[in-house]
Amino acid sequence: MNTAESNISPSAPVDAPLITGNQSFSSVTRRISEIVEVELKKTPKAWYIAFSITSSLAGMMTLMIGWLLWEGTGIWGLNNPVGWGWAIVNFVFWVGIGHAGTLISAILFLFRQRWRTSINRFAEAMTIFAVICAGIFPGIHVGRAWVAYYMFPIPNQMDMWPNFRSPLLWDVFAVGTYFTVSCLFWYVGLIPDLATLRDRAVNKVRKAILALFSLGWRGSNRQWRHYEKAYLILAGIATPLVLSVHSVVSMDFAVGVVPGWHTTIFPPYFVAGAIFSGFAMVMTLAIIARKVYSLEDFITMHHLENMNKIILVTGTMVGYAYACEFFIAWYGANTYERAIFINRAVGPYAWAYWTMVTCNVIVPQLFWFRRWRRNIVWMFIASILVNVGMWFERFVITVTSLSQDFMPSSWDYYTPTIFDIGIFIGSFGVFLTLFLLFLRFLPMIAMSEVKGILPEADPHYYKAQEIKDKQVIGTEGEQVQLS
Amino acid sequence: MKLDKDTFNLSELEGLRKFALLLGALGLAGCVFGFCTHRDQFFYSYLTSLIFWLSIGLGSLFFVLLHHLVDATWSVIIRRLLENVMITLPVLLFFFIPILLNLHDLYHWSHADAVAQDELLQQKEPFLNPAFFSIRAVIYFLIWGVLANKLYNTSLKQDNGDGRGLALKMRNISGPGMLLFALTCTFASFDWIMSLDPHWYSTIFGVYFFAGCFLAILAFTTLTLSFLQSKGVLTDEVTIEHYHDLGKLMFAFTVFWAYIAFSQYFLIWYGNIPEETIWYLHRWEGNWKYLSLFLVLGHFVIPFTILLSRVPKRNIRVMTIMSVWMLVVHWLDIFWLVMPNLQKHHFHFSWLDIATFIGIGGTFIYFVCKRLSSQPIVPVNDPKLQASIKFVNV
Repeated sequence: MNTAESNISPSAPVDAPLITGNQSFSSVTRRISEIVEVELKKTPKAWYIAFSITSSLAGMMTLMIGWLLWEGTGIWGLNNPVGWGWAIVNFVFWVGIGHAGTLISAILFLFRQRWRTSINRFAEAMTIFAVICAGIFPGIHVGRAWVAYYMFPIPNQMDMWPNFRSPLLWDVFAVGTYFTVSCLFWYVGLIPDLATLRDRAVNKVRKAILALFSLGWRGSNRQWRHYEKAYLILAGIATPLVLSVHSVVSMDFAVGVVPGWHTTIFPPYFVAGAIFSGFAMVMTLAIIARKVYSLEDFITMHHLENMNKIILVTGTMVGYAYACEFFIAWYGANTYERAIFINRAVGPYAWAYWTMVTCNVIVPQLFWFRRWRRNIVWMFIASILVNVGMWFERFVITVTSLSQDFMPSSWDYYTPTIFDIGIFIGSFGVFLTLFLLFLRFLPMIAMSEVKGILPEADPHYYKAQEIKDKQVIGTEGEQVQLS
Repeated sequence: MKLDKDTFNLSELEGLRKFALLLGALGLAGCVFGFCTHRDQFFYSYLTSLIFWLSIGLGSLFFVLLHHLVDATWSVIIRRLLENVMITLPVLLFFFIPILLNLHDLYHWSHADAVAQDELLQQKEPFLNPAFFSIRAVIYFLIWGVLANKLYNTSLKQDNGDGRGLALKMRNISGPGMLLFALTCTFASFDWIMSLDPHWYSTIFGVYFFAGCFLAILAFTTLTLSFLQSKGVLTDEVTIEHYHDLGKLMFAFTVFWAYIAFSQYFLIWYGNIPEETIWYLHRWEGNWKYLSLFLVLGHFVIPFTILLSRVPKRNIRVMTIMSVWMLVVHWLDIFWLVMPNLQKHHFHFSWLDIATFIGIGGTFIYFVCKRLSSQPIVPVNDPKLQASIKFVNV
């Protein structure tokens, strides 16, 4: 035990500093604020290029959805018996990605994981954008999207109430609550940073807008006290939501008696998978953002390594669930259950099944080794492969179970059309467009929280500094005398 | 009971040890009597008690593995206490032998004539057969024994050796250790509890059992700490902050247990397939219904309400009462898993429940005490020990 550890505040970092490059409060503010304070005309060209690509994709999706509403869901590859195709796969995929943000900001907060401060802001932003993407799909999948409001329990003249036993309705509530709380959490976290930007703003309009959104934040002791309490309570409220949302999504499948869907491990298994894919997406984006904006001091190798550990843990949990499902399918000795699992592994969709297993279970295993956990190129590739695998997981679950149902005469193979693919790619356009806007206009790293883990935040810091300065002066003085 | 303040060696534990041994001997005598007179009831009670103590042992193994994996600070001070429980786990293999020798009394699938008439059991025979079952049981205990021994010995070596390096070594053991733990814990619960009703299956069952194990060890640790402190041991080192953290975890895993229990119940209820619902229907017959409802209340609603706020978690008396409560409901939970296979339609408690409980428990505690007095009761050379003692919840 070194002495530095025992003397500083008890929850201070024990090992190497989390933020490198000798940052001080002012250098953190400068470094992060300057990214968003660039004048509009001086926005980097690369940003415009990226934005035009992603927004074009989003535009393409809008057109395709327009055509879908005009023509009907027949333009998708859905058939009988596969009534749930890419739209549902994409919905689950995006909701899953939207899990990392709240896990990082709520659960890691409760577990006193101080490294979360460097990544929580943009993970939360990513969460919100992913949930927005997810929200598109069930809405358009209902066919008559213009009556999608039937899903809400709104009193109306027809006296119609939604069916509370339908998982579709639970989704509306679960995802709706999650979205609301995530937005609140994100916004509450942003307030001190918005105030910082407000104080730095030179342009009057900018100042006025930021002043409006920072809700009169002055950073007084009293405000901080209330703020931290509010943050803790929000973290407590958000924690069960991390588990509930994907549990409810898993019930879309598991409450049905379709073989391969109806299995009791689905809720925790889906939650683990969601955190897995969410972290992989944070990883992909973090690696790019840290490179482009030179944030290596803030998102250090230590942060990336920790994220890789979480990817390893959750990936292994997902592997455990696959194994459990497979074993119980055999152990249960239910003919249909067994058939569907054998079919997944060796049937017409075996290519999808093995893609899933390779990407989700085998790829993360390299993260057992420190060398691979700290290899940027590998972790970038792995993070993308994980999300490929997680997309295929939802595909395998949704499509294989449906395509070969109880009646062999109705079996059919599912092939996506250009519209399935286009809308999925377009949803990435929406996601990345929103993310680019976020990078451009809001501080991507929570300045106030990062400051909280700097050595400067320690109440004894200045005292220690003074002593050190005296010692330095003292030795210099002696040197002068000696010479 | 006396603690040497310099070496952290605990002495004068003979009283407790003798008491535990006496209880154990009394209980085991009762077991022998029960075995001769009430054979059916004996085996089911015995399995319930064995699973209970096993869950405490497994919980401690998990806690230690987790502690090393996440490089925790706050729990360093209580690590050795958990390690003492963990190292006693292999003792339970000895208690498992009577079950292995009398599989017919518990497991329907072990009867060759039953299998001959049952298509499903025939399909499951490659897995559910006495030979493979016994081999698996030995493998589980072997894995637990090796893991516990490795971690325990490294931990003792740390007391006089390279604190940092050996902490890292234990972390390296814990990685693969956790993987092995997850698999063995799952399959042990499938084998020993789920297969009591060999037709029924649930993929989440291993997770359900694990949730109970972890809750049990949290309660057991809290109880041990408050007992030791009442005897004047570790009164300065273990602070209210440690109770608070144990309370937080207890709260979290009460919710986790409920989440897993609800997932299992809800999906089976909604799916409404007879081969699955039958398991819950057995637990809804006669007075089983009241026990089922009580579990919802006692294992979730009550602890949830009490442990939700900060004040009770920072009150040693409340935490002690809650630990006893959690251990009682955990025992009832295991009773609820095991006993419906014997006492169909109606349950009643038997004196054998108590005899087997103290028989196995007394012996178990005796061995824990023996370890307790043979080594320092805190990992004296752990680099994070000071930080663990000084830690506060902000």
